[in-house]
Amino acid sequence: MPLKRSWGRCQVLASLFLIGTLVTTPQMAVQAASQTIVEDSSGGMTRAVNRMVGGIVSYARWPDAAPPTGRVMCLVGTPRLADRMAPDVPGPGSVAVRRIAAAAVNPDCDILFIGRMPVADRRQLIAWVRGRPVLTITDDDAACIYGAMFCLSNKTASLSFSVNIDAIGRGPLRVDPRVLRIGGGGGAS
Amino acid sequence: MTGQSSPNPPLERIGARTTLQKLLSRFHFGITLFAVALSGLTILLAGVTALRGYADRNMELAAQLGAYGVEPALVFNDAQAAREGLGPLTRIPGIARLRVLNDVGRPLTQWTSPKADPAPLLTRIFFPRPFAVTVQRNGSAIGTIEVWGDSSTLIDYVRIGLLAGLGCLLITAFGTIFLARRFEYELVKPLNEIATVAHDVRLHRRFDKRVQSLGIAELDRLGGDINALLDELQGWQGNMESERALLAHRASHDTLTAMPNRDAFDEQLALRIRSAEDRSGRFALLFIDADNFKAANDNFGHAAGDAVLVALSARIKDTLRKGDFAARIGGDEFIVIIDPLDGDVRAEDLANRIRASVVDPVLLPGGETYRAAVSVGVALFPDSGSDATALLTAADAAMYADKMTNRSR
Repeated sequence: MPLKRSWGRCQVLASLFLIGTLVTTPQMAVQAASQTIVEDSSGGMTRAVNRMVGGIVSYARWPDAAPPTGRVMCLVGTPRLADRMAPDVPGPGSVAVRRIAAAAVNPDCDILFIGRMPVADRRQLIAWVRGRPVLTITDDDAACIYGAMFCLSNKTASLSFSVNIDAIGRGPLRVDPRVLRIGGGGGAS
Repeated sequence: MTGQSSPNPPLERIGARTTLQKLLSRFHFGITLFAVALSGLTILLAGVTALRGYADRNMELAAQLGAYGVEPALVFNDAQAAREGLGPLTRIPGIARLRVLNDVGRPLTQWTSPKADPAPLLTRIFFPRPFAVTVQRNGSAIGTIEVWGDSSTLIDYVRIGLLAGLGCLLITAFGTIFLARRFEYELVKPLNEIATVAHDVRLHRRFDKRVQSLGIAELDRLGGDINALLDELQGWQGNMESERALLAHRASHDTLTAMPNRDAFDEQLALRIRSAEDRSGRFALLFIDADNFKAANDNFGHAAGDAVLVALSARIKDTLRKGDFAARIGGDEFIVIIDPLDGDVRAEDLANRIRASVVDPVLLPGGETYRAAVSVGVALFPDSGSDATALLTAADAAMYADKMTNRSR
Protein backbone atom coordinates (compact mmCIF):
# COMPACT_ATOMS: atom_id res chain seq x y z
CA MET A 1 0.00 0.00 0.00
CA PRO A 2 2.65 2.59 0.95
CA LEU A 3 4.46 1.75 -2.25
CA LYS A 4 1.47 2.57 -4.37
CA ARG A 5 0.82 5.77 -2.51
CA SER A 6 4.38 6.94 -2.77
CA TRP A 7 4.38 6.03 -6.40
CA GLY A 8 1.27 8.11 -6.98
CA ARG A 9 2.85 10.99 -5.12
CA CYS A 10 5.95 10.75 -7.23
CA GLN A 11 3.96 10.72 -10.39
CA VAL A 12 2.21 13.87 -9.29
CA LEU A 13 5.55 15.38 -8.33
CA ALA A 14 7.00 14.50 -11.69
CA SER A 15 4.05 16.06 -13.51
CA LEU A 16 4.30 19.17 -11.37
CA PHE A 17 7.98 19.27 -12.10
CA LEU A 18 7.40 19.15 -15.84
CA ILE A 19 4.68 21.78 -15.66
CA GLY A 20 6.94 23.91 -13.48
CA THR A 21 9.67 23.63 -16.07
CA LEU A 22 7.33 24.84 -18.78
CA VAL A 23 6.13 27.75 -16.71
CA THR A 24 9.57 28.89 -15.64
CA THR A 25 11.47 28.40 -18.88
CA PRO A 26 10.03 31.27 -20.99
CA GLN A 27 11.56 33.83 -18.66
CA MET A 28 14.96 32.83 -19.95
CA ALA A 29 13.93 32.86 -23.53
CA VAL A 30 17.11 31.56 -25.06
CA GLN A 31 19.65 29.22 -23.61
CA ALA A 32 22.09 26.74 -25.05
CA ALA A 33 22.12 23.50 -23.20
CA SER A 34 22.10 20.29 -25.12
CA GLN A 35 25.42 18.44 -25.16
CA THR A 36 25.18 15.80 -27.83
CA ILE A 37 28.23 13.58 -27.99
CA VAL A 38 29.79 13.67 -31.45
CA GLU A 39 31.58 10.60 -32.70
CA ASP A 40 35.25 11.26 -33.28
CA SER A 41 35.40 10.23 -36.91
CA SER A 42 35.06 11.69 -40.40
CA GLY A 43 31.43 12.62 -40.98
CA GLY A 44 30.71 12.34 -37.27
CA MET A 45 29.54 15.92 -37.07
CA THR A 46 27.32 15.55 -40.16
CA ARG A 47 25.70 12.47 -38.65
CA ALA A 48 25.24 14.26 -35.35
CA VAL A 49 23.65 17.28 -37.02
CA ASN A 50 21.29 15.13 -39.07
CA ARG A 51 20.33 13.12 -36.02
CA MET A 52 19.70 16.25 -33.98
CA VAL A 53 17.63 17.88 -36.73
CA GLY A 54 15.67 14.65 -37.15
CA GLY A 55 15.11 14.47 -33.40
CA ILE A 56 13.88 18.06 -33.25
CA VAL A 57 11.56 17.45 -36.20
CA SER A 58 10.18 14.33 -34.55
CA TYR A 59 9.20 16.29 -31.44
CA ALA A 60 7.45 19.04 -33.35
CA ARG A 61 3.66 19.01 -33.86
CA TRP A 62 2.09 20.75 -36.78
CA PRO A 63 -1.46 22.05 -36.47
CA ASP A 64 -2.69 19.59 -39.16
CA ALA A 65 -1.65 16.77 -36.80
CA ALA A 66 0.06 14.83 -39.59
CA PRO A 67 3.23 12.96 -38.54
CA PRO A 68 6.62 14.67 -38.88
CA THR A 69 7.77 12.17 -41.48
CA GLY A 70 6.96 13.14 -45.01
CA ARG A 71 7.46 16.80 -44.18
CA VAL A 72 9.44 19.01 -46.48
CA MET A 73 12.57 20.71 -45.21
CA CYS A 74 13.65 23.73 -47.20
CA LEU A 75 17.36 24.38 -46.91
CA VAL A 76 18.28 28.02 -47.34
CA GLY A 77 21.83 29.36 -47.27
CA THR A 78 24.90 27.30 -46.54
CA PRO A 79 24.88 24.87 -43.61
CA ARG A 80 27.96 25.44 -41.49
CA LEU A 81 28.08 22.16 -39.54
CA ALA A 82 26.98 19.52 -42.02
CA ASP A 83 28.18 18.80 -45.54
CA ARG A 84 25.02 16.97 -46.47
CA MET A 85 21.64 17.60 -44.92
CA ALA A 86 19.48 14.47 -44.51
CA PRO A 87 17.59 14.61 -41.19
CA ASP A 88 17.70 11.28 -39.39
CA VAL A 89 14.19 10.99 -37.98
CA PRO A 90 13.86 8.12 -35.45
CA GLY A 91 11.74 5.29 -36.77
CA PRO A 92 10.56 4.70 -40.31
CA GLY A 93 10.05 7.49 -42.78
CA SER A 94 12.18 10.48 -43.59
CA VAL A 95 12.06 14.17 -44.36
CA ALA A 96 12.40 15.46 -47.89
CA VAL A 97 15.10 18.09 -48.28
CA ARG A 98 14.90 20.90 -50.89
CA ARG A 99 17.63 23.40 -51.38
CA ILE A 100 16.02 26.75 -52.32
CA ALA A 101 16.94 30.39 -52.46
CA ALA A 102 15.77 32.75 -49.75
CA ALA A 103 13.44 34.49 -52.12
CA ALA A 104 11.90 31.19 -53.29
CA VAL A 105 10.55 30.22 -49.90
CA ASN A 106 6.96 28.98 -50.22
CA PRO A 107 4.17 27.41 -48.13
CA ASP A 108 5.30 23.90 -49.08
CA CYS A 109 8.12 24.32 -46.66
CA ASP A 110 7.23 22.71 -43.30
CA ILE A 111 10.74 23.06 -41.97
CA LEU A 112 13.16 25.85 -42.73
CA PHE A 113 16.85 25.14 -42.21
CA ILE A 114 18.64 28.47 -42.21
CA GLY A 115 22.35 28.17 -43.02
CA ARG A 116 24.83 30.97 -43.42
CA MET A 117 23.26 33.84 -45.40
CA PRO A 118 23.09 37.57 -45.44
CA VAL A 119 21.46 39.14 -42.42
CA ALA A 120 18.77 40.82 -44.49
CA ASP A 121 17.71 37.51 -46.05
CA ARG A 122 17.55 35.91 -42.68
CA ARG A 123 15.42 38.71 -41.26
CA GLN A 124 13.09 38.41 -44.27
CA LEU A 125 12.74 34.67 -43.79
CA ILE A 126 12.01 35.03 -40.07
CA ALA A 127 9.39 37.65 -40.86
CA TRP A 128 7.82 35.32 -43.44
CA VAL A 129 7.65 32.47 -40.96
CA ARG A 130 5.78 34.50 -38.35
CA GLY A 131 2.30 33.08 -37.92
CA ARG A 132 2.91 30.09 -40.18
CA PRO A 133 3.25 26.48 -39.07
CA VAL A 134 6.93 26.29 -39.99
CA LEU A 135 9.74 24.92 -37.86
CA THR A 136 12.88 27.01 -38.12
CA ILE A 137 16.34 25.61 -37.39
CA THR A 138 19.62 27.44 -37.84
CA ASP A 139 23.24 26.50 -37.38
CA ASP A 140 24.57 30.03 -37.73
CA ASP A 141 23.25 31.66 -34.56
CA ALA A 142 25.01 30.20 -31.49
CA ALA A 143 23.34 32.71 -29.16
CA CYS A 144 19.95 31.98 -30.74
CA ILE A 145 18.86 35.61 -30.80
CA TYR A 146 17.85 36.14 -34.43
CA GLY A 147 14.43 34.53 -34.29
CA ALA A 148 14.99 30.90 -35.30
CA MET A 149 13.22 28.40 -33.05
CA PHE A 150 16.13 25.95 -32.71
CA CYS A 151 19.76 26.96 -32.97
CA LEU A 152 22.52 24.34 -33.40
CA SER A 153 26.01 25.11 -32.19
CA ASN A 154 29.16 23.10 -31.89
CA LYS A 155 31.60 23.24 -29.04
CA THR A 156 34.71 21.17 -28.65
CA ALA A 157 33.77 17.65 -29.77
CA SER A 158 30.11 18.17 -29.02
CA LEU A 159 27.02 19.49 -30.66
CA SER A 160 24.23 21.26 -28.82
CA PHE A 161 21.03 23.08 -29.54
CA SER A 162 19.23 25.97 -27.91
CA VAL A 163 15.59 26.84 -27.95
CA ASN A 164 14.11 30.26 -28.57
CA ILE A 165 10.94 29.98 -26.60
CA ASP A 166 9.64 33.34 -27.83
CA ALA A 167 9.94 32.23 -31.44
CA ILE A 168 8.11 29.00 -30.71
CA GLY A 169 5.48 30.83 -28.68
CA ARG A 170 4.66 33.16 -31.57
CA GLY A 171 3.90 30.38 -34.05
CA PRO A 172 1.11 27.80 -34.18
CA LEU A 173 3.67 25.00 -34.05
CA ARG A 174 3.90 22.94 -30.84
CA VAL A 175 7.05 21.37 -29.51
CA ASP A 176 7.31 18.55 -26.93
CA PRO A 177 8.13 20.14 -23.54
CA ARG A 178 10.85 17.58 -22.91
CA VAL A 179 12.75 18.96 -25.86
CA LEU A 180 12.17 22.50 -24.66
CA ARG A 181 13.63 21.45 -21.34
CA ILE A 182 16.72 19.97 -22.94
CA GLY A 183 17.13 23.03 -25.12
CA GLY A 184 16.44 25.24 -22.14
CA GLY A 185 19.54 23.94 -20.42
CA GLY A 186 17.81 22.26 -17.52
CA GLY A 187 18.36 25.39 -15.48
CA ALA A 188 14.85 25.07 -14.13
CA SER A 189 15.52 21.71 -12.58
CA MET B 1 8.83 -55.77 56.23
CA THR B 2 5.92 -54.06 54.54
CA GLY B 3 7.03 -50.63 55.74
CA GLN B 4 10.21 -50.90 53.72
CA SER B 5 8.69 -52.21 50.53
CA SER B 6 6.42 -49.18 50.05
CA PRO B 7 8.28 -45.86 50.59
CA ASN B 8 5.30 -43.73 49.50
CA PRO B 9 4.03 -44.74 46.08
CA PRO B 10 0.73 -42.80 46.28
CA LEU B 11 2.59 -39.47 46.50
CA GLU B 12 4.63 -40.28 43.42
CA ARG B 13 1.56 -41.18 41.46
CA ILE B 14 -0.14 -37.92 42.33
CA GLY B 15 3.02 -36.02 41.34
CA ALA B 16 3.15 -37.69 37.95
CA ARG B 17 -0.44 -36.79 37.14
CA THR B 18 -1.67 -33.55 35.70
CA THR B 19 -4.78 -31.60 36.56
CA LEU B 20 -7.64 -31.18 34.14
CA GLN B 21 -7.08 -27.46 34.20
CA LYS B 22 -3.45 -27.86 33.17
CA LEU B 23 -4.43 -30.28 30.45
CA LEU B 24 -7.07 -27.95 29.07
CA SER B 25 -4.70 -25.04 29.32
CA ARG B 26 -2.04 -26.86 27.37
CA PHE B 27 -4.57 -28.00 24.79
CA HIS B 28 -5.97 -24.51 24.36
CA PHE B 29 -2.56 -22.99 24.07
CA GLY B 30 -1.65 -25.46 21.38
CA ILE B 31 -4.79 -24.79 19.39
CA THR B 32 -4.39 -21.05 19.76
CA LEU B 33 -0.78 -21.13 18.71
CA PHE B 34 -1.64 -23.26 15.73
CA ALA B 35 -4.52 -21.01 14.67
CA VAL B 36 -2.60 -17.79 15.10
CA ALA B 37 0.45 -19.20 13.36
CA LEU B 38 -1.69 -20.45 10.51
CA SER B 39 -3.56 -17.19 10.04
CA GLY B 40 -0.38 -15.19 10.51
CA LEU B 41 1.39 -17.25 7.91
CA THR B 42 -1.53 -16.90 5.52
CA ILE B 43 -1.65 -13.15 5.99
CA LEU B 44 2.11 -12.91 5.66
CA LEU B 45 2.11 -14.93 2.45
CA ALA B 46 -0.83 -12.98 1.04
CA GLY B 47 0.84 -9.73 2.08
CA VAL B 48 4.15 -10.68 0.58
CA THR B 49 2.46 -11.73 -2.65
CA ALA B 50 0.48 -8.50 -2.83
CA LEU B 51 3.55 -6.54 -1.86
CA ARG B 52 5.57 -8.20 -4.52
CA GLY B 53 2.90 -7.29 -7.04
CA TYR B 54 2.98 -3.67 -5.91
CA ALA B 55 6.74 -3.58 -5.86
CA ASP B 56 6.94 -4.97 -9.37
CA ARG B 57 4.32 -2.51 -10.56
CA ASN B 58 6.15 0.32 -8.86
CA MET B 59 9.39 -0.57 -10.57
CA GLU B 60 7.61 -0.97 -13.87
CA LEU B 61 5.94 2.41 -13.57
CA ALA B 62 9.22 3.97 -12.51
CA ALA B 63 10.84 2.46 -15.55
CA GLN B 64 8.00 3.78 -17.76
CA LEU B 65 8.36 7.23 -16.25
CA GLY B 66 12.09 7.06 -16.81
CA ALA B 67 11.61 5.92 -20.37
CA TYR B 68 9.34 8.90 -21.01
CA GLY B 69 11.83 11.24 -19.38
CA VAL B 70 14.95 10.06 -21.15
CA GLU B 71 13.39 9.54 -24.56
CA PRO B 72 14.49 12.92 -26.07
CA ALA B 73 17.89 12.54 -24.44
CA LEU B 74 18.32 9.23 -26.26
CA VAL B 75 17.14 10.82 -29.50
CA PHE B 76 19.72 13.56 -29.13
CA ASN B 77 22.30 11.20 -27.58
CA ASP B 78 22.62 13.67 -24.70
CA ALA B 79 23.99 12.31 -21.42
CA GLN B 80 23.25 15.49 -19.45
CA ALA B 81 19.64 15.50 -20.61
CA ALA B 82 19.39 11.79 -19.75
CA ARG B 83 20.54 12.53 -16.20
CA GLU B 84 17.94 15.26 -15.94
CA GLY B 85 15.32 12.93 -17.39
CA LEU B 86 16.10 10.48 -14.61
CA GLY B 87 15.67 13.25 -12.01
CA PRO B 88 12.08 12.40 -11.00
CA LEU B 89 13.03 8.75 -10.56
CA THR B 90 15.86 9.48 -8.16
CA ARG B 91 13.32 10.92 -5.75
CA ILE B 92 11.19 7.74 -5.74
CA PRO B 93 12.04 5.66 -2.68
CA GLY B 94 12.89 2.05 -3.31
CA ILE B 95 15.10 2.54 -6.37
CA ALA B 96 18.71 1.47 -5.92
CA ARG B 97 20.16 2.03 -9.35
CA LEU B 98 19.20 3.37 -12.77
CA ARG B 99 20.92 2.93 -16.10
CA VAL B 100 20.12 4.25 -19.58
CA LEU B 101 21.49 2.32 -22.54
CA ASN B 102 21.45 3.66 -26.10
CA ASP B 103 20.32 1.74 -29.18
CA VAL B 104 23.62 -0.17 -29.41
CA GLY B 105 23.57 -1.07 -25.72
CA ARG B 106 26.21 1.40 -24.57
CA PRO B 107 25.37 3.14 -21.27
CA LEU B 108 24.41 6.78 -21.76
CA THR B 109 24.09 7.58 -18.09
CA GLN B 110 23.57 5.82 -14.80
CA TRP B 111 22.68 6.68 -11.26
CA THR B 112 23.15 4.83 -8.00
CA SER B 113 21.22 5.67 -4.85
CA PRO B 114 23.45 7.20 -2.17
CA LYS B 115 21.41 5.40 0.47
CA ALA B 116 22.59 1.95 1.49
CA ASP B 117 20.27 -0.98 0.97
CA PRO B 118 18.77 -1.79 4.40
CA ALA B 119 18.23 -5.48 3.63
CA PRO B 120 20.21 -6.85 0.69
CA LEU B 121 18.70 -10.30 1.20
CA LEU B 122 15.17 -8.94 0.78
CA THR B 123 16.30 -7.07 -2.32
CA ARG B 124 17.75 -10.24 -3.78
CA ILE B 125 14.48 -12.08 -3.17
CA PHE B 126 12.18 -9.37 -4.46
CA PHE B 127 14.25 -7.83 -7.23
CA PRO B 128 16.59 -10.47 -8.55
CA ARG B 129 16.77 -8.70 -11.93
CA PRO B 130 16.47 -5.06 -12.97
CA PHE B 131 13.30 -3.95 -14.70
CA ALA B 132 14.19 -3.03 -18.24
CA VAL B 133 11.93 -0.96 -20.47
CA THR B 134 12.74 -0.35 -24.08
CA VAL B 135 12.50 3.31 -25.06
CA GLN B 136 10.79 3.69 -28.39
CA ARG B 137 10.46 6.59 -30.72
CA ASN B 138 8.05 6.29 -33.64
CA GLY B 139 8.00 2.53 -33.34
CA SER B 140 11.74 1.90 -33.28
CA ALA B 141 13.81 1.11 -30.23
CA ILE B 142 16.23 3.88 -29.44
CA GLY B 143 17.48 2.64 -26.09
CA THR B 144 16.75 0.86 -22.86
CA ILE B 145 16.24 2.01 -19.30
CA GLU B 146 17.02 -0.39 -16.43
CA VAL B 147 15.71 0.07 -12.91
CA TRP B 148 17.04 -1.87 -9.90
CA GLY B 149 14.77 -1.90 -6.85
CA ASP B 150 15.91 -1.98 -3.26
CA SER B 151 14.27 -2.99 -0.02
CA SER B 152 13.96 0.46 1.61
CA THR B 153 10.18 0.59 1.10
CA LEU B 154 9.70 -3.13 1.64
CA ILE B 155 11.49 -3.04 4.94
CA ASP B 156 8.96 -0.54 6.28
CA TYR B 157 6.10 -2.80 5.24
CA VAL B 158 7.79 -5.85 6.68
CA ARG B 159 8.54 -4.00 9.91
CA ILE B 160 4.96 -2.71 10.26
CA GLY B 161 3.63 -6.11 9.19
CA LEU B 162 5.71 -7.94 11.76
CA LEU B 163 4.75 -5.48 14.49
CA ALA B 164 1.08 -5.74 13.58
CA GLY B 165 1.41 -9.51 13.45
CA LEU B 166 3.03 -9.54 16.86
CA GLY B 167 0.30 -7.30 18.21
CA CYS B 168 -2.37 -9.57 16.75
CA LEU B 169 -0.60 -12.56 18.24
CA LEU B 170 -0.57 -10.95 21.66
CA ILE B 171 -4.22 -9.88 21.49
CA THR B 172 -5.25 -13.32 20.26
CA ALA B 173 -3.17 -15.03 22.89
CA PHE B 174 -4.66 -12.94 25.69
CA GLY B 175 -8.16 -13.38 24.34
CA THR B 176 -7.76 -17.11 24.05
CA ILE B 177 -6.22 -17.41 27.47
CA PHE B 178 -9.20 -15.53 28.88
CA LEU B 179 -11.67 -17.72 27.01
CA ALA B 180 -9.78 -20.88 27.98
CA ARG B 181 -9.86 -19.81 31.61
CA ARG B 182 -13.60 -19.31 31.39
CA PHE B 183 -14.06 -22.65 29.71
CA GLU B 184 -11.89 -24.36 32.29
CA TYR B 185 -13.82 -22.69 35.07
CA GLU B 186 -17.16 -23.76 33.60
CA LEU B 187 -15.96 -27.33 33.24
CA VAL B 188 -13.84 -27.70 36.34
CA LYS B 189 -16.36 -26.18 38.74
CA PRO B 190 -19.05 -28.88 38.29
CA LEU B 191 -16.39 -31.59 38.31
CA ASN B 192 -15.09 -30.23 41.56
CA GLU B 193 -18.61 -30.27 42.94
CA ILE B 194 -18.95 -33.95 42.10
CA ALA B 195 -15.52 -34.63 43.57
CA THR B 196 -16.41 -32.80 46.78
CA VAL B 197 -19.53 -34.87 47.25
CA ALA B 198 -17.66 -38.13 46.55
CA HIS B 199 -14.91 -37.11 48.94
CA ASP B 200 -17.37 -36.18 51.68
CA VAL B 201 -19.16 -39.48 51.32
CA ARG B 202 -15.95 -41.50 51.42
CA LEU B 203 -14.26 -39.62 54.24
CA HIS B 204 -17.12 -38.61 56.53
CA ARG B 205 -19.68 -41.27 55.61
CA ARG B 206 -22.11 -38.51 54.70
CA PHE B 207 -24.44 -40.73 52.72
CA ASP B 208 -27.10 -38.03 52.77
CA LYS B 209 -25.00 -35.75 50.52
CA ARG B 210 -26.18 -35.33 46.91
CA VAL B 211 -24.76 -33.70 43.78
CA GLN B 212 -26.72 -30.59 42.79
CA SER B 213 -28.04 -30.37 39.22
CA LEU B 214 -25.25 -29.22 36.86
CA GLY B 215 -25.29 -27.05 33.74
CA ILE B 216 -23.36 -29.47 31.52
CA ALA B 217 -25.51 -32.37 30.29
CA GLU B 218 -22.86 -35.09 30.48
CA LEU B 219 -21.72 -34.05 33.93
CA ASP B 220 -25.32 -33.72 35.07
CA ARG B 221 -25.90 -37.32 33.98
CA LEU B 222 -22.80 -38.38 35.87
CA GLY B 223 -24.05 -36.48 38.91
CA GLY B 224 -27.46 -38.19 38.58
CA ASP B 225 -25.81 -41.61 38.45
CA ILE B 226 -23.71 -40.80 41.46
CA ASN B 227 -26.82 -39.67 43.32
CA ALA B 228 -28.58 -42.94 42.45
CA LEU B 229 -25.54 -44.85 43.66
CA LEU B 230 -25.57 -42.85 46.87
CA ASP B 231 -29.26 -43.67 47.36
CA GLU B 232 -28.40 -47.37 47.18
CA LEU B 233 -25.40 -46.95 49.41
CA GLN B 234 -27.49 -45.12 51.96
CA GLY B 235 -30.02 -47.95 51.95
CA TRP B 236 -27.32 -50.55 52.43
CA GLN B 237 -25.68 -48.51 55.09
CA GLY B 238 -28.96 -48.25 57.07
CA ASN B 239 -29.62 -51.99 56.83
CA MET B 240 -26.07 -52.77 57.78
CA GLU B 241 -26.14 -50.55 60.82
CA SER B 242 -29.37 -52.02 62.21
CA GLU B 243 -28.10 -55.54 61.49
CA ARG B 244 -24.86 -54.79 63.24
CA ALA B 245 -26.65 -53.35 66.26
CA LEU B 246 -28.77 -56.49 66.40
CA LEU B 247 -25.73 -58.72 66.18
CA ALA B 248 -23.88 -56.72 68.80
CA HIS B 249 -26.85 -57.00 71.14
CA ARG B 250 -27.12 -60.69 70.51
CA ALA B 251 -23.44 -61.19 71.21
CA SER B 252 -23.55 -59.50 74.54
CA HIS B 253 -27.03 -60.45 75.81
CA ASP B 254 -28.82 -63.52 76.91
CA THR B 255 -31.72 -64.24 74.63
CA LEU B 256 -34.06 -65.57 77.25
CA THR B 257 -33.90 -62.85 79.88
CA ALA B 258 -32.45 -60.08 77.67
CA MET B 259 -29.86 -59.55 80.39
CA PRO B 260 -26.18 -59.03 79.55
CA ASN B 261 -24.34 -62.36 79.26
CA ARG B 262 -21.06 -63.61 80.66
CA ASP B 263 -18.91 -61.84 78.07
CA ALA B 264 -20.63 -58.52 78.69
CA PHE B 265 -20.23 -59.04 82.41
CA ASP B 266 -16.47 -59.70 82.14
CA GLU B 267 -16.05 -56.54 80.16
CA GLN B 268 -18.17 -54.56 82.59
CA LEU B 269 -16.30 -55.88 85.61
CA ALA B 270 -12.94 -54.89 84.15
CA LEU B 271 -14.34 -51.39 83.50
CA ARG B 272 -15.72 -51.04 87.03
CA ILE B 273 -12.42 -52.20 88.59
CA ARG B 274 -10.45 -49.64 86.57
CA SER B 275 -12.93 -46.89 87.37
CA ALA B 276 -12.97 -47.73 91.11
CA GLU B 277 -9.17 -47.81 91.22
CA ASP B 278 -9.03 -44.41 89.58
CA ARG B 279 -11.30 -42.77 92.11
CA SER B 280 -10.32 -45.07 95.04
CA GLY B 281 -13.99 -46.09 95.28
CA ARG B 282 -15.65 -49.25 96.39
CA PHE B 283 -18.23 -51.53 94.83
CA ALA B 284 -19.89 -54.81 95.66
CA LEU B 285 -20.14 -57.95 93.55
CA LEU B 286 -23.12 -60.18 94.28
CA PHE B 287 -23.13 -63.78 93.08
CA ILE B 288 -26.71 -65.09 92.97
CA ASP B 289 -27.66 -68.73 92.40
CA ALA B 290 -31.20 -70.09 92.36
CA ASP B 291 -31.76 -72.83 94.92
CA ASN B 292 -33.21 -76.15 93.77
CA PHE B 293 -33.69 -74.85 90.28
CA LYS B 294 -32.99 -78.29 88.79
CA ALA B 295 -35.88 -79.71 90.78
CA ALA B 296 -38.22 -76.98 89.50
CA ASN B 297 -37.14 -77.75 85.96
CA ASP B 298 -37.73 -81.46 86.47
CA ASN B 299 -41.07 -81.04 88.22
CA PHE B 300 -42.71 -78.40 86.06
CA GLY B 301 -40.88 -78.67 82.74
CA HIS B 302 -38.43 -76.48 80.85
CA ALA B 303 -41.01 -73.85 79.98
CA ALA B 304 -41.65 -73.35 83.67
CA GLY B 305 -37.88 -73.24 84.32
CA ASP B 306 -37.58 -70.52 81.71
CA ALA B 307 -40.44 -68.58 83.26
CA VAL B 308 -38.75 -68.79 86.65
CA LEU B 309 -35.48 -67.46 85.16
CA VAL B 310 -37.28 -64.58 83.45
CA ALA B 311 -39.10 -63.72 86.68
CA LEU B 312 -35.87 -63.87 88.69
CA SER B 313 -34.05 -61.63 86.27
CA ALA B 314 -36.91 -59.10 86.32
CA ARG B 315 -36.98 -58.97 90.11
CA ILE B 316 -33.20 -58.66 90.39
CA LYS B 317 -33.30 -55.81 87.90
CA ASP B 318 -36.02 -54.12 89.96
CA THR B 319 -33.71 -53.90 92.99
CA LEU B 320 -30.99 -52.12 91.05
CA ARG B 321 -30.22 -48.43 91.04
CA LYS B 322 -29.33 -46.50 87.93
CA GLY B 323 -25.58 -47.16 87.84
CA ASP B 324 -25.78 -50.81 88.96
CA PHE B 325 -25.33 -53.75 86.60
CA ALA B 326 -26.87 -57.22 86.40
CA ALA B 327 -26.00 -60.18 84.15
CA ARG B 328 -26.94 -63.82 83.71
CA ILE B 329 -23.70 -65.76 83.56
CA GLY B 330 -24.92 -69.33 83.66
CA GLY B 331 -28.06 -71.47 83.69
CA ASP B 332 -29.38 -70.22 87.03
CA GLU B 333 -26.51 -67.95 88.04
CA PHE B 334 -26.78 -64.16 88.13
CA ILE B 335 -24.27 -61.48 88.97
CA VAL B 336 -25.01 -57.99 90.21
CA ILE B 337 -22.56 -55.14 90.57
CA ILE B 338 -23.57 -52.47 93.05
CA ASP B 339 -21.53 -49.47 92.12
CA PRO B 340 -20.94 -47.03 93.63
CA LEU B 341 -21.20 -48.44 97.13
CA ASP B 342 -21.98 -46.16 100.06
CA GLY B 343 -19.55 -46.47 102.98
CA ASP B 344 -22.07 -47.58 105.60
CA VAL B 345 -23.77 -50.35 103.57
CA ARG B 346 -23.11 -53.83 104.81
CA ALA B 347 -22.70 -56.85 102.58
CA GLU B 348 -25.40 -58.73 104.38
CA ASP B 349 -27.94 -55.96 103.72
CA LEU B 350 -27.29 -56.21 100.00
CA ALA B 351 -27.72 -59.98 100.04
CA ASN B 352 -30.93 -59.68 102.01
CA ARG B 353 -32.37 -57.17 99.59
CA ILE B 354 -31.91 -59.67 96.71
CA ARG B 355 -33.32 -62.51 98.79
CA ALA B 356 -36.35 -60.40 99.67
CA SER B 357 -37.00 -59.50 96.03
CA VAL B 358 -37.53 -63.13 95.03
CA VAL B 359 -39.75 -64.12 97.94
CA ASP B 360 -43.06 -63.51 96.11
CA PRO B 361 -44.28 -66.66 94.33
CA VAL B 362 -43.79 -66.89 90.58
CA LEU B 363 -46.81 -67.67 88.40
CA LEU B 364 -45.90 -70.50 86.03
CA PRO B 365 -47.37 -70.97 82.51
CA GLY B 366 -49.33 -74.03 83.73
CA GLY B 367 -51.18 -71.90 86.31
CA GLU B 368 -49.17 -73.18 89.26
CA THR B 369 -47.10 -70.98 91.50
CA TYR B 370 -43.50 -71.49 92.42
CA ARG B 371 -41.71 -70.09 95.41
CA ALA B 372 -38.15 -69.40 94.39
CA ALA B 373 -35.18 -69.01 96.68
CA VAL B 374 -31.67 -67.83 95.98
CA SER B 375 -28.25 -68.07 97.58
CA VAL B 376 -26.27 -64.83 97.48
CA GLY B 377 -22.55 -64.34 97.93
CA VAL B 378 -21.10 -60.85 98.30
CA ALA B 379 -17.57 -59.73 97.55
CA LEU B 380 -16.39 -56.15 98.09
CA PHE B 381 -13.82 -54.29 96.10
CA PRO B 382 -11.15 -53.75 97.15
CA ASP B 383 -11.73 -55.55 100.52
CA SER B 384 -12.35 -59.05 99.07
CA GLY B 385 -10.00 -58.77 96.09
CA SER B 386 -8.56 -56.24 93.73
CA ASP B 387 -8.96 -58.15 90.45
CA ALA B 388 -11.81 -59.85 88.63
CA THR B 389 -10.79 -63.43 89.44
CA ALA B 390 -10.26 -62.76 93.10
CA LEU B 391 -13.57 -60.96 93.38
CA LEU B 392 -15.46 -63.70 91.53
CA THR B 393 -13.81 -66.39 93.59
CA ALA B 394 -14.65 -64.55 96.81
CA ALA B 395 -18.25 -63.97 95.74
CA ASP B 396 -18.60 -67.58 94.56
CA ALA B 397 -17.21 -68.85 97.88
CA ALA B 398 -19.55 -66.59 99.82
CA MET B 399 -22.52 -67.80 97.74
CA TYR B 400 -21.52 -71.39 98.33
CA ALA B 401 -21.31 -70.78 102.04
CA ASP B 402 -24.76 -69.19 101.89
CA LYS B 403 -26.13 -72.19 100.00
CA MET B 404 -24.71 -74.54 102.65
CA THR B 405 -26.37 -72.45 105.33
CA ASN B 406 -29.71 -72.55 103.44
CA ARG B 407 -29.54 -76.33 103.08
CA SER B 408 -28.72 -76.92 106.70
CA ARG B 409 -31.54 -74.64 107.69
